[in-house]
Amino acid sequence: MSTDLSLVGAPTLPAANRWQLKLLRHGASLAFLTILLVFAATAPNFLSPTNLSNVVAQSAILGILAFGLTLVIIGGGSNVVSGGLDLSLAANLGLSAAVYATLNNAGASAASSIALTLACGLAIGALNGLVVVGLRLPPLLATLASMNLIAGLELVLTENTVLPTDSPLLDLLSFGQWLGQPALAWVFLVVALLLTLLTQFSRYGLRLYAVGEYPEAATAAGLPVASYQFSSYLLSGLCGSLASFCSAAWFSGSTTGSGEMLLSVVAIAFLGSVFSQRLRPSITGTLLATLLVGFLVNGFQLLNISSFWVNGVQGVLILLVVASSSLLRGSV
Amino acid sequence: MKFLKILFSTALLFSANTYASDDVPSLAGKRIAISMTGTSHYFDVKAFQAQVDEVKRLGGIPITLDAGRNDKNLVTQLQTVVTQKPDAVIQTLGTLSVIDPWLKRIKAAGIPLFTIDAPSQYSINNTTSDNYAAGRLLAEQLVKDTGGKGNILVFNGFYGVPVCRIRYDELIKALAEHPGLKVLQPELRDVIPNTVQDARSQVAALLNKYPKGEIAAIWSAWDIPQLGASQALIDAGRTEIKTYGVDGTPEVLDLIQRDDSPVGAVVAQQPVLIGKTAVQNVARYLAGQKDLPKETHVSTLLTTANNLNEMQQLRGDQ
Repeated sequence: MSTDLSLVGAPTLPAANRWQLKLLRHGASLAFLTILLVFAATAPNFLSPTNLSNVVAQSAILGILAFGLTLVIIGGGSNVVSGGLDLSLAANLGLSAAVYATLNNAGASAASSIALTLACGLAIGALNGLVVVGLRLPPLLATLASMNLIAGLELVLTENTVLPTDSPLLDLLSFGQWLGQPALAWVFLVVALLLTLLTQFSRYGLRLYAVGEYPEAATAAGLPVASYQFSSYLLSGLCGSLASFCSAAWFSGSTTGSGEMLLSVVAIAFLGSVFSQRLRPSITGTLLATLLVGFLVNGFQLLNISSFWVNGVQGVLILLVVASSSLLRGSV
Repeated sequence: MKFLKILFSTALLFSANTYASDDVPSLAGKRIAISMTGTSHYFDVKAFQAQVDEVKRLGGIPITLDAGRNDKNLVTQLQTVVTQKPDAVIQTLGTLSVIDPWLKRIKAAGIPLFTIDAPSQYSINNTTSDNYAAGRLLAEQLVKDTGGKGNILVFNGFYGVPVCRIRYDELIKALAEHPGLKVLQPELRDVIPNTVQDARSQVAALLNKYPKGEIAAIWSAWDIPQLGASQALIDAGRTEIKTYGVDGTPEVLDLIQRDDSPVGAVVAQQPVLIGKTAVQNVARYLAGQKDLPKETHVSTLLTTANNLNEMQQLRGDQ
């Protein structure tokens, strides 16, 4: 993790401002901690190990999708309109899950079902990469179009019905445990760890950030900007199909309405940047944001408060992100 | 014959009402989780409110859970409810293949599980309308109105939801005996959300494809698509086509009263009585009455323009 911002502005700021800056930077983590403490004190069984590991497992689907979006934002820049964006992730999950359920029900071997499902996600990533990087269409519109295309393909495949399916892989994901923790929680954490290593501790990750944040400088330094951005869409597509296995395990097959996850995924990915000191997208930030939303849903249910409040709280948090990021930018 | 049918249904209703007003054991101090798939339609809202009211009336504490018609929310809430350790869970509706593994976990955690419209093997008791009878009566009315001839548009988007499956299978069974009636392929898919608007535009488009005389009836497993379809028929002036569905949503009942109404018939369910009955079954079980039937049926009434008033009086809508 870099600690670069302090080099830029902090020394010139008066003490009071520095303190405010610190509060802004750590505000999200403090808010998360406060929320956890409040739930721990008030919500019955909130801190029970089963409940905590359930929340991590429940976060796997949204979290892995949000990782995909985070990678695209890292590679394309975090400007919502002109930066990196992949709105097709939720539809990707829907189609990939449908492909897996269909293949599995048709008697295809485990290896080929899994491989073709991953290939489906990669193909969607490649399509997005081609239109965004190759044809230079704005990602917002390009991935909106591919979202509709993919959702249409899913409808053709499933006729808008639930496709129940069962396989040893899905059994393992939904019922398996390791060290007393559910398999989906492990999948989520392992994917997070691998992607963190990739983005924060590898040459590829460093360059992906460079390409996203300072494309001109990256080009001047001789980095193949287009290839890096294309690769971020490929990774995002892969995340979509990875999440589809979690979803197929969760719903015992492919189910309709995966598109509804899109807004949560976008919210989480942008919320994630608030956990980084420089308000930039990161896998760890997205992991924390996913868990925050998961704990909110869980805590509210345990407190018998309608889950619809979660949407409201999410909205407030996003407003805070926008407000604090513009404040931070103004202070440097 | 129709009179007899009404009389029969009235008798059933009467018996169900009597049953509901029996002395029911108290739920004092008991926490009852009321897990809804959604509360966006007439049936859900009424069944939900009735459960909450009945739990409170019997002295219990309702834990209300609403998945907002989203499978992900539903599964999450069913998983978290195990942590909440309520004295019983009542699950209303849901796609069985999706919820069953999670209902199994609730049962495995030793929490008594009850259901409404979800005949799960893990449920102690499922309170539901007699959907076999409802589906059969609706299909018979359709056959009668069409004279056993013509093409039918069928909305079959939720075959995975058991009550819809039963009603659909009853339709197909009835059609097998009347080869003059044909289901137009492909079948239509009703969707959630935007069910009314979506059904309306699907039917509007098909009315252009099939000129007058080529469609005799439109069937759907519930009456929200029926509402959209009926609106499309009114818009297009094609009310010679009749619609059929299940639930008895007030907007559909309003349409029945119109002159030249496209609504052929709707099977009215009694969501309030269904919700109340499910809670009373929970109370009986928790008080030690372990010999509950696997299913409790609450009667329905096939409603047409001719018997609308009786239905509304019986259900307490008026």
